[in-house]
Formats: sequence, C-alpha cells, structure tokens
Amino acid sequence: MAVAELIKSIAQTTDLVDTYVPGHRTCAGCGPALGYRLVAKAAGKNTIFVGPTGCMYVANTSYACGPWAVPWTHAQITNGGAVASGIAEAFRMMIAKGKIKDEFPNIIVMAGDGGCSDIGLQAMSAMFYRGHKVLCVMYDNESYANTGIQVSPSTPYGATTMFTPAGPAIPEAKKHHLKDPMPIFCAGGHPYLKYGATASIGYPIDLMNKVRKALAQDGPAFIHLHVPCPKGWSFPADQTIEIAKLAVETGMWNLYEVENGDWANKKFQALPKKLKPVDEYLQTQKRFSHLQPEHVATIQEFVNARAQKLGMEVPLPPAK
Amino acid sequence: MPIKKRGTGLTAVADAWQLADIDVSASYPIRPYTAVMAELAKRIANGTMKCEMVHGEGEHAQFSIAHGASMAGARATTGTSGVGVTYAFETYSPIAGSRCPIQALIGDRTLDPPGDFGSEHTDCLTLRDNGWIYGWAQDAQEALDNSLMYFRIGEDPEIMLPQIVAMDGYFVTHIAQDYEMPDQEQVDKFLPKFNPKFRLDVNNPVIMGPQIEPEMGPPLEWDRHVVMNKVKGKIVEVTEEFGKIFGRKYAPFVEEYMTEDADMVYVLQGAHAVTCRSAIKYLREAGYKIGMCRIRWFRPFPDEALAQILPKFKVAGVVDTGTSYGAPCGGGVLSTEVKAAMSEVPGKPIIQSFTSGLGGETITHEEFFAMAEMMKQTLAAGKIIQSGTWVNFNDYHEGASQINAAKTEAAPSK
Repeated sequence: MAVAELIKSIAQTTDLVDTYVPGHRTCAGCGPALGYRLVAKAAGKNTIFVGPTGCMYVANTSYACGPWAVPWTHAQITNGGAVASGIAEAFRMMIAKGKIKDEFPNIIVMAGDGGCSDIGLQAMSAMFYRGHKVLCVMYDNESYANTGIQVSPSTPYGATTMFTPAGPAIPEAKKHHLKDPMPIFCAGGHPYLKYGATASIGYPIDLMNKVRKALAQDGPAFIHLHVPCPKGWSFPADQTIEIAKLAVETGMWNLYEVENGDWANKKFQALPKKLKPVDEYLQTQKRFSHLQPEHVATIQEFVNARAQKLGMEVPLPPAK
Repeated sequence: MPIKKRGTGLTAVADAWQLADIDVSASYPIRPYTAVMAELAKRIANGTMKCEMVHGEGEHAQFSIAHGASMAGARATTGTSGVGVTYAFETYSPIAGSRCPIQALIGDRTLDPPGDFGSEHTDCLTLRDNGWIYGWAQDAQEALDNSLMYFRIGEDPEIMLPQIVAMDGYFVTHIAQDYEMPDQEQVDKFLPKFNPKFRLDVNNPVIMGPQIEPEMGPPLEWDRHVVMNKVKGKIVEVTEEFGKIFGRKYAPFVEEYMTEDADMVYVLQGAHAVTCRSAIKYLREAGYKIGMCRIRWFRPFPDEALAQILPKFKVAGVVDTGTSYGAPCGGGVLSTEVKAAMSEVPGKPIIQSFTSGLGGETITHEEFFAMAEMMKQTLAAGKIIQSGTWVNFNDYHEGASQINAAKTEAAPSK
C-alpha cells in the first residue's frame, strides 16, 4: 500500500483544488453536497466519479450544468459497483496494452444508502469481492432522498418517512432497526477489502484523511459517510454540522476504521468521554417528534448495544 | 492467411473477439452461451489473448461492467441466454442511450417456465425496443462475420450503438461446423481501433448520463431514432466492404433462396434457414413454387428491403421461433413486424403466421412441408384459412386434420 499524504489542519485544505464546484442545485445546508465536496477535494484531479441514482444524481446533474471538474458518470441505482468494476478493469487493461497513456485514476462510487446497502448491495459486494481498485463512499442520509424521503435500510428505527408515517396503529413510524453495512462489508467476508471506515461531515479532516487512506489501497475500499439531510430529517438548514457532531456525541453515529479486515481491532476516532442520551439528538429533528418515551428507550438500547458490540469503551447513558 | 477451422458458433465468436482485440469481457454462466466465455478464459490463461475477464455476479452486472468499460474507452463484450437476457433488462436502455457500442453474444434459449435449454428467439426479441443493433446468424461462419461487422457498424463515430450477435442455441452455439477464421491483417484493415470521441478522461472531463428536464429528453430520443435509421446505410456499406476484404458476400438485409418464379416464400431468421433450404428442394421437386427470404437484421428492421422483395410473391409465411402471447393475428414477434413493415406496401402478398421450433425443437422437413401446403391452400383460396398456426400443436386444436393431411400429402415427395 502506498502511504497516503494526510491532511493536518483545515488551513492546509485551502491549498487543495475543489473539483466539486458550483452548478448543483441541492437544498440549503445539504449534508451530502458538503460530503461530496470534501471527498472530491481529498481525492484531487485524477479522479473519476460514478454516481448511481440517488439525490446526488438528481440534484447535481442538470443537463449542461454539472458541478464536476472531473469526469462523472451515472450508473443505475442497482449497478454502481459493476459499472465501476468495468471502468477500473478497462483502465488497467488499456494501460497495460499501451492503448492509453493515462495514469490509473482514482475511481470513486458515490452511492447513496439505497444504491449501496439496499438495491445496489449485490453489485457493491461483488466489486469488493473481486478486488477492483475502487473506493465506494456510501453517503448516508438515511433515506431515499431523491424521490422525496422514503424509507431505506439506513433509516433509523422510529423515523418518519413518506413510506413510514406515524399513526395510531404504528405509533413509532419505522419499525425496523437499521442495517449496518460496515460489518457486512468490512468484517472479513470480503478478503480484498483492505480498508473500511465510517466518517462524518462533522469531522472533515478525519473524513478527508480516510478518503486518502482508502485511495492509497491496492484494492477496493469502503467509507460509510454520515450526511445529515435538513429536508429529510426536518431541521433548520444552518444546523447540519451541529447535528452531524451530535450524532457522534450521542452514539447515533460512531467513527472508526478497520484496516486489513481486522474487525477485532478497529480504531475509534472522536470517541466522546461519555455518550450523551440519544434524546438530545432525537429532539433536534421533526422526523422523531412523534416518539413516545418507550420508543426513545428502544433507540437508546440499540445505540448502547451497538457501542458495546463494537467495543467502544465509553460510559453509556441508562436505557430507560 | 485465413485458417480453416472446425468449431461452434461460440468458438467462432471467440475468434472474432480475439481478432478484434477486445479489452474487457464480462461473464456469468448460463447455457447455452457459456462456452464463449470458457473459450475466452482458456485463451487468456494460455496467454494467446490479452483481455480482462470480469466474472459478474449476474447478467445485470455483466452488462453493467461492459457499460463501465466502454465508457472508459475499452472495447468490451459480454453475452447471455434466456432468462439471463431478461435479468439484465434494466441495463439495455442506459447502454444504448449513453451510446456505448459494447457487443453481446446471445445464444437463444427459452424463457422460464419451465426450465428448458432449447432455443427460442423470445429472449432476445424482448429487448427490441431498447436501441440495440441486432440480427441472427444462421451458422458459425456468419456468427464470426456478423461479430466483426457489428463492431464496425456499432463503433462507427456516426452510430455508436451496442450490438447483439444473436444465434440459435444449440443449432449454432453447439453444433461443430467448418468455418474460416480470417487473419489479423484482414481484420485490422476492416475494423479500426475503438477510439470514442468521449470517454472518462481526467484530462478532458465530461459528465455522462446526466439527469435532464423532461423537455430535453425527446430530442435525445429523436437522436437515437435517427441514428438507428442511419444504421441501414452503414449495413449496406459495411457488408460490401466485408465482401471485398474477406471474400464472403452477404445480402445486406434479406437473403433470398429459390425465389425466382416463386409464388410462395418462407420468411424467417436464424439457423432454421438451413433446414428450410433443404425442405425447399424437396418441395420444388413436388411442384411447389416456393422459396425463402431470410432476414439478416432484426434491428434496424429491413422494411425497405422487404417492401422491394415481398411483392414478388403471392403468399409469405412468416416462421416465428418465439412467442408473444396475445399478439395480433395469433402470430409471434417476427410476423407482427413483417406485417407492420408491409402494411402500406402496394401489391403485398398475403402474410401468414406460423409458430414452430419452440423449446429448441428442430423444425422438421415435415413441418416445412405442412406450412407449404397451408400456404398453397391460402394461395388457392386467396385468403388466410387459419390465422396464426402453431405448427407442432395443431393436433390439439381444430386445424389438426388439415395439418396432418398436409404432412402426409407433401411427405411422399421426399
């Protein structure tokens, strides 16, 4: 593995070139857009983005007005992993045959939670399994946001979406706890996946360095990126970063990385001294405003159990 | 120097792909197409061919991998059969819409249920509306030749469309035949290197497949419509040039067999043409004035060529080797297409639909004889007596006695 050049401070990032540039039409305070910008900035100019259908496709690719200064291509929501595999092997073979003089590019799939862990799961898993040199960034705004906020496997228990409204018969709204792609992809079942990490736009330097470490691998890498969505989650547009940080502080989101498939020895980042109660996080968003104390307790139990299962050594709030 | 070889339609296409120096091929196993990928794998392992073979986790991925490779600027191929064709369905329109000239080999197979390895054209015909260039090869030689011609046409800068080299499962994919493998110099002269105007190039960034406003869509669809019609001109040009370089002459659109003085013709595509020709020889001896028109391209559909050729005859019996349940006039896709193509042609023949050869069954001489007899009765009556005949199954419906009589009547001439 080549050693990645890591970023030490925000000040240092001003020297980096933006390749995700104005021209998009995302909502004010859009978490995914900020995530895209940071990923693109960390990756640099020798980069090709693959965008399976998702909100970052719908909001970004108005014809003749796209926000990329690097090549970008659409993939179906189902096949980001497969399209990226084809791109990677085409470059490898054309370079080997001397048909092109390009340096092998960074190939980054920016897949939403649906396009990666739901309908696109199969193609992504196959891409990791075959070991193509591609980074998959799953930008997770916890819903199908391109179609107007419908439930996805990433939607937390208790959140309202257009497909999971709260009502007298189903007071908690979404009934299922979320699906976690990190253990699916990074816990050893994909032998060529040498680097996996969770990241958050609330921690931009950490995110950018994870992107660089991921791109320095000789094979595939995966980053699960938490990106709050003001529209989908119903919070004021100027609160995106605060909410991203609060997610980490309450354990609703955990920052860690897994190198060489060593799931047992994951490294945690920004580990709080103790977790704040999840209620502090839930109260910031209208999607949780219908929750009763027992539902909040269910979420707290889930968060505590997950923290313990991951091996985060941090005091947990009581699950009432 | 070209080499004489004995092989199947699948090895013949593997030869074409090797000569075309493909960069990426995406595999997933399903019979009967699979052997083309096994052949590539062997050649790659032996070092005789330099190509990245990506093992997709299904047909949807296969076509997506080829799509990605093509966008990166590689010459990419894939292939499948039967339900594999339909599993990949989501990918066809995006590949054609982003004008990626990948090539797929489809070895026809019946769709489920039930599980049946036999050939039917239904699998490949389901994707007729997606902007792919395709047609059927009747034998291994034509499969190889079509593959080279399809690359040349599909990758033409004015065209840029994906292509399907279709062939009947078993009859073409698996029967060993003699064919000629051209030499590299001939192919290099005929097929330029794939050099797309736009690819995923960090020095010249482009956005591919953007989301657009609804009013911007129809112009792009119009482009695809226009270019598909432009393909016809290229087919004529390329078929002629192919003949000059390789010495094998093909009719650009419709191959005619024993059509001079014929008043009845079979209209069909694919491998059953081989049996059809020999059946015609017996029928001619028995006094039937019958010939054959074999359609070489299904998309774009050769309506102008048919409009010129078919009015020479009084009855045209279209032989469908596929199904389209509830289609007009009881026919299948091919007969529906032929009827549509001929709808406004003055002096058109009576067009009769036959369905035969389903499930990979051979269309026997007796069945061709029976169809000839039914066409003869149509000719005598001046109208179709039975609309939409399933030739093998008339035992089970009211036309049974007619078909059986026809079979025995025509048979002694053999």
